[in-house]
Amino acid sequence: MRLRPGPGFAFVDKRGGNQSLTVKERESELAGNMHAPAAAWLVGVVAWFVPGGGHILLGNWRRGLLLGGTVAVMFLTGLKLGGHLFSFGGQEGFYSLLQIPPTIANFGSGILYLICFLLNKGFSEGGDLASSPTFEYGNTFLLVAGLLNYLVMLDAFDLAAGRKR
Amino acid sequence: MRHFSMMMLFAALVSVVFGVTAKQTARERLFYGLKVFGEFMIIGLVLAWVLYFLPF
Repeated sequence: MRLRPGPGFAFVDKRGGNQSLTVKERESELAGNMHAPAAAWLVGVVAWFVPGGGHILLGNWRRGLLLGGTVAVMFLTGLKLGGHLFSFGGQEGFYSLLQIPPTIANFGSGILYLICFLLNKGFSEGGDLASSPTFEYGNTFLLVAGLLNYLVMLDAFDLAAGRKR
Repeated sequence: MRHFSMMMLFAALVSVVFGVTAKQTARERLFYGLKVFGEFMIIGLVLAWVLYFLPF
């Protein structure tokens, strides 16, 4: 909704000309929008856990399958290219701090990351893996898959909270 | 898989998510996705040629 200041300190909605609100009314409406319903948080959690699952839960199957499929393809391509998944353990001192940002990015992939964690797939740090010519490509695909799923999760949350259509 | 095809795949997948999440109508999504894809490809190729001439 694009708003512009109207006459007499009122905001006028460009799309619906008859909806004019005073500044205080508009502020209270915006404050009301800041409180998302509990269902939106549930959708957010589902969307993180199963890529695209939040949209499917909202009944938007096509969008959910497209977004979830995209994240899954990116993640699986990253694994196939020999990418490395990060976790908090295994390093000491300063190096453990360096693990935090990529771990958060990888963790965004939800169930895909958890399955790999349980199967210990992609977490090994063998020298032969790092010497693979596509190792860095794989890392990038895996990191970006998680970050994209965070974006998908926020989209599902906004849809569930009514902030987006 | 060749490096160029990996770059194309990466650009295509990211463009899909950006297009679907950022825009409202199907037409806007399509055009925005194509724009992002094109930007990824052009910037990637320009950077590749710039790095090619660097001596390290």
